[in-house]
Amino acid sequence: MIGARTLRREDARLVRGAGQYVGDIRVRGCLDAAFVRSPVAHGELRGVDLSRVRAVPGVVAAFAHADLPYLPPTPPMLDPGSIEGRPWPPLATGRVRFYGEPVAVVVAGDRYLAEDGCDAAVVRVDPLPVLLDPTEAAAGGVELFPGLSNVAAEREFGAPAGDDVWRDAAIVVEARYRQQRLAHTSIEPRAILVRPEADDGLTVWVSHQAPHRLRRDLAAAFGLEPDRVRVIVPDVGGAFGGKSETWPEYLAIVAAARRLHRPVRWLEDRREALGGPPHGRGQHQRVRLAADADGRILAYELHIDADVGGYPHTGAFVPLATSMMATGAYRIPSVHVRTRAVVTNAAPTAPYRGAGRPEAAFAIERTVELLARRLGLDAAEVRRRNFIRDFPYETLTGFTYDSGDYAAALEVALRELGIEHWRAEQARRRAAGAWPIGIGLCTYVERSGVGEEFGAVEARPDGTFVALSGCCSTGQGHETSFPQVVADVLGVDPALVRLVEKDTAVVPSGVGSFASRSMQTGGAALHRAATKLVATARQRAAEVLHVPVAGVAYRAGAFVADGRSVPLAELAPLRAEDTFDPPEAFPFGAYAAVVEVDPELGAVRVLDLVAVDDYGVVVNPLIVEGQALGSIVQGLGQALYEGVRHDADGRPLTLSLLDYLLPTASELPPVRLAETRTPNPNTPLGAKGAGEAGCIGVPPAVLNAVADALGLDDPQDPRMPVAR
Amino acid sequence: MRVVLTVNGSAFELDVPPRRTLADALREECGLTGTHLGCEHGVCGACTVLVDGEAVRSCLMFAVQCDGRAVRTVEGLERDGLEHPLQAAFSAEHALQCGFCTPGFLMLVAGALESDPAVLDDPQRLRELLTSNLCRCTGYEGIRRACERVRGLRPPLPG
Repeated sequence: MIGARTLRREDARLVRGAGQYVGDIRVRGCLDAAFVRSPVAHGELRGVDLSRVRAVPGVVAAFAHADLPYLPPTPPMLDPGSIEGRPWPPLATGRVRFYGEPVAVVVAGDRYLAEDGCDAAVVRVDPLPVLLDPTEAAAGGVELFPGLSNVAAEREFGAPAGDDVWRDAAIVVEARYRQQRLAHTSIEPRAILVRPEADDGLTVWVSHQAPHRLRRDLAAAFGLEPDRVRVIVPDVGGAFGGKSETWPEYLAIVAAARRLHRPVRWLEDRREALGGPPHGRGQHQRVRLAADADGRILAYELHIDADVGGYPHTGAFVPLATSMMATGAYRIPSVHVRTRAVVTNAAPTAPYRGAGRPEAAFAIERTVELLARRLGLDAAEVRRRNFIRDFPYETLTGFTYDSGDYAAALEVALRELGIEHWRAEQARRRAAGAWPIGIGLCTYVERSGVGEEFGAVEARPDGTFVALSGCCSTGQGHETSFPQVVADVLGVDPALVRLVEKDTAVVPSGVGSFASRSMQTGGAALHRAATKLVATARQRAAEVLHVPVAGVAYRAGAFVADGRSVPLAELAPLRAEDTFDPPEAFPFGAYAAVVEVDPELGAVRVLDLVAVDDYGVVVNPLIVEGQALGSIVQGLGQALYEGVRHDADGRPLTLSLLDYLLPTASELPPVRLAETRTPNPNTPLGAKGAGEAGCIGVPPAVLNAVADALGLDDPQDPRMPVAR
Repeated sequence: MRVVLTVNGSAFELDVPPRRTLADALREECGLTGTHLGCEHGVCGACTVLVDGEAVRSCLMFAVQCDGRAVRTVEGLERDGLEHPLQAAFSAEHALQCGFCTPGFLMLVAGALESDPAVLDDPQRLRELLTSNLCRCTGYEGIRRACERVRGLRPPLPG
């Protein structure tokens, strides 16, 4: 059961087109909404005239901020300090701070008519100077929020190394890196359908990762008791961090539905999705690293200017995750991180698959490889000399790594890659003047999980079991993997266990699915709940059998004592719950890439890619390998193809999928997966979390390989223009 | 405008505005929500259906262009309650995660199996075929393996 490659239950409906995504739900009388959006990236909003909109046939209503003056401000996701004095009105008022910021919502009989209505809106904006570079924005001059710094949050971790460390070190490596903005691009964009209920409550169907948080936010925003708001998450067409938030559009749709007493839905289109929010990444990084002549790292310094876009509500905390993972897999005696979350006139950022850890791994892994190059040492050997080897390990940035064997993962990667073969091929090509190839490594550590999660297991009289989880599958396959965990504890056929999640009226509490936390936290909560269920039932069984509790054995759905047996089903209904708050876990791994570079066109082809991941205990290898492959290709997108671009006025240039290039089947390189397995010592299940590793490991490995191929000593980002 | 679409063998008499896309007509008028919209500008392929046996982006066709023509959607893949071999292969090879792009990939490959099954025998041509559509979850490898799995099965696909 745990460890079985069970095929997914979800597939039966999804391959028949019988899944139900928000756009597939039919609610009687439901209207479609579309948004009028800011045509400029920064400006004073002088007027919004919707009179012609309301005259468009089929338009039911149109609202600007002035029509819904009671609209609550957008709540922050985390880090509330960053939004002090920087309110984000769901419909703009006063100022617009990014291209595409919602200015008005138009509600009509269908979306064609709603968009006709949007076309008739007149929006007057007096443009202001546009800031797109976070370092420039931090320097001031133009203030996005008058009277306030553009630096919404500034934090330090660790302490600066003394001047003597930098002066006396055998070598000091300095570099700057840019983490470009990425678009999440779940194939299903954001979607919400709100039905106002007769009791003043709301039923909300939404494509989301954290339904209980959305319920809390909507209830607080509209002054409702939380139990008056029911959030249901149907099938979700991918999320990747962009569906965890309480977005301004959601508040506007709720307000419109309540005003009209009609169900209203908003199905985001691709142009809106690519324009953002959300976007992910977006950091300028400056690093300095001191080492001795053997490559032992003495000090590491990382300065981050994070471009969090026009409002810091959803992105300001992401660079904190980067900061806390700054030193990666290495034991470094002196660490100093300074991070600034800076508002700019681009769309607000949000967590994107990896959420701060890819940025951290990129900086340290590029820099370690640069160190090796400068010293003329083997990059794998420099890593070995610096790996953390004793666990638990407390980092200078505030985390405790639970367990690991980083050197073992690296050895597997080198062996699987066949590094000797590739080094020989590299030398042969150099001698022959052929297109160069390069080899790049990345040994990453990531953090998975954060906070608590709810799990419950219920035994039913018919011999089946219901598992309830506060997690929220967005395509991973919880309906298959969570029952495997419960069935393993109970010793029953997984087919007898059915999962219920994603409905706040049925699951009393929950946090959701992000940060690779579902199995690490939610799976462990179910494991504990199932264990509790057996303990509770054992007491009851002892009562039935008139024997001491200690004399009752549990085997495969039944209790036995003195040769007599009581099936668990006869004791049903019985239910056990658990809310589990384990410490963060620290999965790790080693990636190795071989690339070929066309030196004239700059085109990069990945010839070989090995991913060694340590997720702790793996419940369903089929699903986990799927997560690995999917995140590897997203990481490849970041490394070589994807990037949000703007013109000088802050208008996005990547508003179609012909301009924002996702990897296709033609970009899929040969990939080999391997594993080491170091169980999580802090949970009974032992899972560490999976899902984001490829986005963390691939970009540094591929770019290190490009630098190796071109013999680049130049520390600038070697990302090349790519011909496809 | 009044049009008649034959969808999965059933006739649908529709009264639709000229600008209504085939995808919206299938989803809203015919109630067949298995055809998904991922980009509405013809790139992602999530809305792929077969029109007279040919794979098309249903977001780039108007419903009125399909008057009198035969349309097949993912709901029409099953025969007599039996899964199409591709559907089973997609599950067996974990060729889907969120499932949103899946109907489009299924119809793309089903169309190829019907019209030019040799595509599946040539890795390069298969790769080019699969490059028609976008998936953000799987990294494509499972989809490729699923196609290899049905190679040689070549089931008849009556329109």
